[in-house]
Amino acid sequence: MENNDASSPDRKLQCSDVSKCFQLLERILDGELVEEGEEMLQKKLDKCQPCFAHFHLEQAIREVLKTKCTKQPLPDKLAESIRQMIQDPR
Amino acid sequence: MSEVQRRKYSQEERSAVFDGEFMPHIDSMYNFAFRLTFDEDDAKDLVQDTYMKAFRFINSFEQGTNAKAWLFRILKNSFINDYRKKSKKPATVDYQEVETFYNSDDVDYQSTSDLRAESVRDMLGDEISNALNGLAVDFRTVIILADLEGFTYEEMAKILDIPIGTVRSRLHRARNLLKETLKGYAQSMGYGRDEEENLND
Repeated sequence: MENNDASSPDRKLQCSDVSKCFQLLERILDGELVEEGEEMLQKKLDKCQPCFAHFHLEQAIREVLKTKCTKQPLPDKLAESIRQMIQDPR
Repeated sequence: MSEVQRRKYSQEERSAVFDGEFMPHIDSMYNFAFRLTFDEDDAKDLVQDTYMKAFRFINSFEQGTNAKAWLFRILKNSFINDYRKKSKKPATVDYQEVETFYNSDDVDYQSTSDLRAESVRDMLGDEISNALNGLAVDFRTVIILADLEGFTYEEMAKILDIPIGTVRSRLHRARNLLKETLKGYAQSMGYGRDEEENLND
């Protein structure tokens, strides 16, 4: 069962292998461990508070980067000038 | 070039590939260029140069393969060869030092324990953007490719000409650096102060 509470008595408060766990969580979030990731992830999130917090933090960072850093407005006529350049190659 | 000798595209095919597979990525390309150069004119030139090169070397692009990754690779190489040299703001961070420092477990733990998902979500676009822009170019690049553009590690390895293991570790370090900056912003916004006060009571 999924446990999405921010804190849960079932979770341990210390993670014994923070560095390894966090890197693993990041790979799962990056979509690199598609097959085995889902199950591993659920286990970690259910049992370990630091992993749970880290996962949600990383998820939030990815969200804000994606929504707030991808909207650089394209200069007017850039696309047009590129099309023109390839039509008259020097 | 692959071993298979590809036939050359006809004039019509070239236009079709260019318009159908290259031009749709222009927004992402410009965003990437702007975040590398921090200058609208330089970014515009960089994107233009990249598309000119893409057109000139169109015969080495295989239709049906990942056009976006192919274009990003050209843009990244153009940036390194033509723009990075004349950059007004050379990177002041010692890469090696940063790499060693951010590889320890202590740093992993500290950098995340004080920063909460909710405070990140409450931040303004400018703060997020400044935090990203403040990273040294190699770290900034992997975040852009992974998080803004959604490239896989394998695609990133090809774009950057580095092994997948290096992609993974560089990305992890880049994220730790980014979290350090975001943590600083969160503290100055007043998040986390309640907890400190409680501890001091």
